[in-house]
Amino acid sequence: MTSLALRRAGQSGRGQSLRQREARWGYIFLSPWIVGFLAFTLIPMVATLIFSFTDIKLTSSQPVRFVGLQNWQALFADERVWSSLKVTLSFAALQLPIAVVVPFLMALLLSSKRLIAPGLFRVLFFMPYTVPFVASVVIWEQMENPTSGWIDQVLGFFGVTGPNWLNDPALIYPALVLLGLWGVGGAMVVYLGGLSGIPSELYEAARIDGAGWLRQLWHITVPMMSPVFLYTLVLGIVDVLQYFLVVEIINNGTGEPGGATQFYNLFIYKELWTYSDEGMASALAWLLFLITLAITMLVFFAARRWVYYAGER
Amino acid sequence: MRQPIRLGMLVVAAALTFGACSNSSTPTPAQAATPAPVATSAAGGPTAAPTSAATPVTYTGPKVSVTWFCCLGTGEDASQQAVEKQIVADFNSTHPNINLIFELTPYTGARDKLSTELASGNGPDIVGPVGVGGSEAFHGQWADLAPWITKYAYDLSEFDQSAIDFYKQGGEGQIGLPFAVYPSELYYQKAMFDEAGLNYPPSAYGQKYKMPDGSQVDWNYDTVRKVSMLLTIDKNGCDATQSCFDPKNIVQYGFEPQRDDLRGMGAYFGAGQLMGSDGKTAQIPADWSYGWKWIYNGIWTDHFIETNSVYQSTAFNGGGYTFNSGKVAMQENFMWNVCCITNAGRNWDLGALPANPNSGKVTATFNADTFRILKSSKKQEAAFVALTYLLGEGSQKLLNAYSGFPARKSLQAGFFTQLEQQTDPKTSKPVFPTKVNWQVAIDGIKYADVPNMETYMPAYNATLDRLQTSLTRWTATGGLNMDTEISSLLTDIQKIWDKAGS
Repeated sequence: MTSLALRRAGQSGRGQSLRQREARWGYIFLSPWIVGFLAFTLIPMVATLIFSFTDIKLTSSQPVRFVGLQNWQALFADERVWSSLKVTLSFAALQLPIAVVVPFLMALLLSSKRLIAPGLFRVLFFMPYTVPFVASVVIWEQMENPTSGWIDQVLGFFGVTGPNWLNDPALIYPALVLLGLWGVGGAMVVYLGGLSGIPSELYEAARIDGAGWLRQLWHITVPMMSPVFLYTLVLGIVDVLQYFLVVEIINNGTGEPGGATQFYNLFIYKELWTYSDEGMASALAWLLFLITLAITMLVFFAARRWVYYAGER
Repeated sequence: MRQPIRLGMLVVAAALTFGACSNSSTPTPAQAATPAPVATSAAGGPTAAPTSAATPVTYTGPKVSVTWFCCLGTGEDASQQAVEKQIVADFNSTHPNINLIFELTPYTGARDKLSTELASGNGPDIVGPVGVGGSEAFHGQWADLAPWITKYAYDLSEFDQSAIDFYKQGGEGQIGLPFAVYPSELYYQKAMFDEAGLNYPPSAYGQKYKMPDGSQVDWNYDTVRKVSMLLTIDKNGCDATQSCFDPKNIVQYGFEPQRDDLRGMGAYFGAGQLMGSDGKTAQIPADWSYGWKWIYNGIWTDHFIETNSVYQSTAFNGGGYTFNSGKVAMQENFMWNVCCITNAGRNWDLGALPANPNSGKVTATFNADTFRILKSSKKQEAAFVALTYLLGEGSQKLLNAYSGFPARKSLQAGFFTQLEQQTDPKTSKPVFPTKVNWQVAIDGIKYADVPNMETYMPAYNATLDRLQTSLTRWTATGGLNMDTEISSLLTDIQKIWDKAGS
């Protein structure tokens, strides 16, 4: 066929090419997400940015005024901002490695060929992830209670005085990490999917070459799983920088014990709802967004060195 | 790809996307899920027929919907909700031009929710029952009822003038009408006193207390401390005065303060307020400092008051009022506490609150609830008609549900009789013990804290937040220097006020 005939074969009676028609349908299928993104993400983000340059207050009927950089100047001068950031980053330093590694280890165990009834164990480990979040925090608050919580009661059975998990500044972060392990089922399922995608020929070839389990893990499993690690790490960073609900429920969002739970997002919440300063809260939210973006971009930049995408090299 | 399949996938994609939009990883301002007081009693209505407490007010305007927002104060208990819904149904059946809608939000999240609704322009019309504290959190946003009182010639003769004036604020007008008063009293478990061989607390103000050695002493917080230590028992049966006492294994506590609000905890030792006479200088009343230290020592030195961990544990009512767990010998609390007291058993009684040993004065801090109309309401006239129903024809049922002492004079005489006649619908047994000493509660009104501890102060919500931080810290952390802590609290409050005023 001539090129002209070929072109005509791809065109509809209305003069559109096949590519244009498929692109149109693609956009139509994307449109719900686009509309949702605009309505519930982008437009509110732009609105928040504008609010950060005004003196808007939730409970005031006064007209909103443009105040320039006043909120931003107050933000950078407020020591509570930096102390709450420090709290958040300190907690992240403990929680992130555990949130990335523990589900992977659990996925490794659950994908072992020696495990009897793997399906049952997968369901059991995933089930806590389905418990409504607030309910699970309330349950854990009671479990970690030094008076009636069963963790300390079990420890007491073995003659160990159970710690005051939620009121000791030295133990509050481990208590929160312990609480967070309740939800590892979600990440575990993602890792299981990743593990199942690793070609078995790689392991067979490694075994033929005499590689043991540990070497296979380090030289095959970990590199092949590196994109999943990146995914989990990025989501973990976003989650931990927005850490809020647990500490709002435990200790009533007071930041106790000793200010150790005065997380940055809790500070934004208070600025908005307790101090009714929406302008300042908007500036704080944008600062958090910029910090999260910067850290995420750093991770993606570093990922070029340690993430292996099969087929790209 | 065929057309019908494309359209089908489009619908599925839309459903999934809009469903996923609500699962944003950005946290939403969620309400804190602190366990509410245990809903143990399904207090039925009084068996006596309610008397008509006011002349009904009739609305003849166009049909409108009026939203009644609850609960900046009491009202969220399951038994109370049943009454509130019945009130709404009764009102709607007799007022065809007004559709009253009941909107319930638990107390712990009610301020945030109301703030959101007001900010978005979707505020309710009526808010209540709401006390002084809840109202002051929204200072300046309440409607002046005077025009509607005048238009409908609403009869105010049923209320004491002082009660009416209580809701008249300079520059804002008559922003409320009297509804209920909740005086404070001392709740105590008779059996615990019997077991310890102790006399019951005084049944009237001004009486002395007879100690085990026969001496007659003043009923003040020094005496309460001694008695409470005798009533605090560990799992081995040792009390807090004995060398064998194990403070880590306490099964019964001698005393529980009313720990909702640090200001209230202090006010039981003497009336006062944080705001100085100039309206911008923070102060800590001396009686409050004394009271806070007394409580702190009671928790961490003498061990007759629960720590925060114990208070939050399920063994002691999981964050609800701990007297209602049946494991506390005495508690000072407001009258509304009787709404949810069933689990405390049926062998409790009321006694006189102790005096401050320094001043010799008794202070029975009180709450006062009413229903208010928001200034932002576009249906104030219809809301006023609904308000008068809640304060009038519906008030008796509501007062029973909230255990509020009526401000309306015609309802005062029979109030406690009706309260005692309430039965649990599940068991048909009386909710309250027989012959409760209600008189001491009424007498407590004479010792009300004036100024009230919940009166206005600058940056109200932010100051409350700071007070809550200290309350949590002091009840959760031993070994603190209370002078330093109180000084730090004062400094922080002043900073908050200075920032709010700048």
